[in-house]
Amino acid sequence: MTIINNTAAEETQTEFPPKSFITQNVHKSVLSNGLTILTKEMTGTPVVATIIWYRVGSRNEELGQTGKSHFLEHMLFKGTNRYKKGEIDLITHLNGGANNAFTWLDFTAYYFTFASDRWEAALEIEASRMRDTTFAEEEFASEKQVVEEELRIGLDGPWEALENEVWATAFRQHPYHWPTVGWLEDLEAASGADMKAYYDKWYHPRHATLVIVGDIKRQQVLQKVENLFGSIPTGPAGSSLNIVEPRQRGEKRLVVRRQTPVERLLIGYHAPEVGHPDSYPLKIAEAILATGKSSRLYQRLVEGDQSVTKADATYHDHIDPSLFYIQAELKPGFALADVEAAMYEEVERLKTGDITQAEVDKAKRQIESSLVLGSEEPLQQAILLGQFETIASAESVPPQSRGYQYLDTLQEMVDAVTIDQIASAARTYLIQDNRTVGYLTGEVEAGEQERGRAA
Amino acid sequence: MQLSQKLVARPKLDVERVELPNGLVLLLSENHSIPSVSINTILRTGSRFEPDDKAGLASLTGALLDSGTTSKTSQQIAETIEAAGGQLATFGDYQSSGVVVRLLSKDTTLGLEVTADLLMNASFPDDKVHQDIDRRVAQIKARLDIPRTQASDAFNEIVFKGSPQHRPPIGYSETLKALTRDDVEAFYRRYYAPQVTMMAIAGDIDKKAIRASIEKMFGKWERTSKAEPPVIMRATRQDHPIESFVNAQKEQVNIIIGHLGIERRNPDYYALLVMDTILGSSPGFTSRIPRILRDEQGLAYTTFSNITSSAGLDPGRFVAYIGTAPENLDRAVSGLRGEISRIVAEGISAEELETAQLYLTGSFVFRFQKNSQIAEFLLEAETYGLGFDYPERYADLIRGVTVDDVNRVTRNYIDPKNLTTVVVGPVDAQGKIVKEA
Repeated sequence: MTIINNTAAEETQTEFPPKSFITQNVHKSVLSNGLTILTKEMTGTPVVATIIWYRVGSRNEELGQTGKSHFLEHMLFKGTNRYKKGEIDLITHLNGGANNAFTWLDFTAYYFTFASDRWEAALEIEASRMRDTTFAEEEFASEKQVVEEELRIGLDGPWEALENEVWATAFRQHPYHWPTVGWLEDLEAASGADMKAYYDKWYHPRHATLVIVGDIKRQQVLQKVENLFGSIPTGPAGSSLNIVEPRQRGEKRLVVRRQTPVERLLIGYHAPEVGHPDSYPLKIAEAILATGKSSRLYQRLVEGDQSVTKADATYHDHIDPSLFYIQAELKPGFALADVEAAMYEEVERLKTGDITQAEVDKAKRQIESSLVLGSEEPLQQAILLGQFETIASAESVPPQSRGYQYLDTLQEMVDAVTIDQIASAARTYLIQDNRTVGYLTGEVEAGEQERGRAA
Repeated sequence: MQLSQKLVARPKLDVERVELPNGLVLLLSENHSIPSVSINTILRTGSRFEPDDKAGLASLTGALLDSGTTSKTSQQIAETIEAAGGQLATFGDYQSSGVVVRLLSKDTTLGLEVTADLLMNASFPDDKVHQDIDRRVAQIKARLDIPRTQASDAFNEIVFKGSPQHRPPIGYSETLKALTRDDVEAFYRRYYAPQVTMMAIAGDIDKKAIRASIEKMFGKWERTSKAEPPVIMRATRQDHPIESFVNAQKEQVNIIIGHLGIERRNPDYYALLVMDTILGSSPGFTSRIPRILRDEQGLAYTTFSNITSSAGLDPGRFVAYIGTAPENLDRAVSGLRGEISRIVAEGISAEELETAQLYLTGSFVFRFQKNSQIAEFLLEAETYGLGFDYPERYADLIRGVTVDDVNRVTRNYIDPKNLTTVVVGPVDAQGKIVKEA
């Protein structure tokens, strides 16, 4: 803890010792303006990953103005007071680096990877574009077309189209109702002034976490961060409407009808937020159902019934309660209703505790190894650290799991899960009243054909 | 900027190459930073060895490697790897087939045992063969739902006409349905042999120990006499422009423009890599096509071009791609064609060359971050004879390229007058936009 003497950074004590190789040697500090900094010295790799996270995503938007978080992400490459248009990319390019950004429900993040002898350009760029992005009207107009094209790619993707409808149906009030890219009509109506106002609301040190992982000297880095970011004001608190999705009472069903050679279905169940005690048994359920060829949905649907080309289960960590979903792509000649029924049979088996200890152990090892195999690069580690620092920050998350330290307790929480807990979580969440069922099909229903002929 | 004075990272890999008496080449590289290992085993066989009427056979054979062995069922194979939290993939693509296993390093031996079993003892149970053919026929249909894939397939049919590369490796419904278990077995017996096998292992391993266990596990694998490939027909570059419009009810038109490309062993590869970086392959929007068509004109989210990324044992393809709203079709096509013509006619500037060289040399280090990347590089180096000191020489290969080199290779390998243009989207056969009813 010698660093505190060398920088103006306010030291936050790490109260709990690191248990994950990802959190080993991670150091957290908070500048007086509220900017959170996570640094990790990694030897043996000549690169540095820098990623800045803003706790703002489509979750913070309002109906009628959806897609702003993502659009703003695009605008942050269009120039600042210091870097003119194209210069951020050019600097990255000349230095042989890579940069990109991503926006999702809960956050927006910008990253750079550079060789370690030249990585500090990333810090300078992020410090400049946190407050000094210029919003030239002509840049806004052409970038709007780019974002609309990105949205159209999603509309042309069958899974994206189905996923969007299922979320929009499952969430009638909470902002997870709309996709991160927004609704096309909202995008068309967006103005440069809207974007600037949104930027001024959220892009401040208090909403940001800066993560630096790689071949660095921590003390020098913290000093440099202080020099570049320290004088930026804390900024406004930036409140969002706090919308709680009411409990779903009864199954919801929907159809996406479009020309398609294969039919698909996706079933979403409301499921708890990051760090919730029930989230860990549901992670195991996800793995039992769909990780690998020995998983239940694969064995039942792909190998057994031979009714689908692929089947999957997905459950991601989010700030607010989200969806646990299962999905399948059908082989021609099989009926959506039959595949749906078979999927429910597999879900029912979980509820009755028809689960072997070997399956549970396998799921635990899969969760452990995917974290190791997915963390070889400094950037991958920086993403995990920043993501959980951003989404697992609420008071409801137990203190020893809060922020990036979520990664410390993740494996032990997963390892402690029992068969009874998996069955109990399945009985609580994976039930008919709590689900939204979406079909994607080119078929016209019999009744409609009749009406069509009569017309 | 004084960037050119900065040191260029020259990754140095500690590689051990061993050739077993049966011809299997073993490539080992230790990296102890993360407790994991990547075991990539590939054979120099693929769909380029199959005749047109057996299209899909190599891909099917590769996919079925884990469908059962003489001692294990498919489920037992999956359980073995997955209980250890490992990931197993088997495949057959255009020029290679094989097995990739990623595991925690404490389970390395398990990964080797499974790999050996699949390569030497695959049994191809009849029901699994039929099941997979069925699934693949459905997957071929599903490809029509992904417009970029559909456009790419249509482009390949034209540009690679006369060569096995015109086919998608997955094959066609008709050819797949006609394949039998005997076809799979015969392909496996003929082409899966130690003398065409390369095994790259990178990660938290002990080279000496692993070498001993591999000699023990794979030493008994016998050479076969027929693994030599048939004569592969080569495509020739087209001598006239070709246009093809494919109707699909989509929000975007997907456009691919280009023609036949180059082999990886072509000595002009490096000059063309520089050309790619300048014309359409840099990340971000520094290269011409993304900068002008996306960043300035707002025509697309995705647009790029390249000739080197598909270079393999056989010539790949030169492609320029854009996905855009139907009303932009004409602007997008003329925009891509315009940039292709311009770089051929006007060449590049010294500044563009220097920028591209800085990018290529500076970013090279990122190709060696993960064990799987290192394993893939070892296989690439072995396949094309690059030498394992290639990472140290790479910067010089790129810095040796001149403006004249780039302009010469651009003129030689890019022909703006004889391009294939494929458009998939809401268009009719003449390329006119059709509105949805």
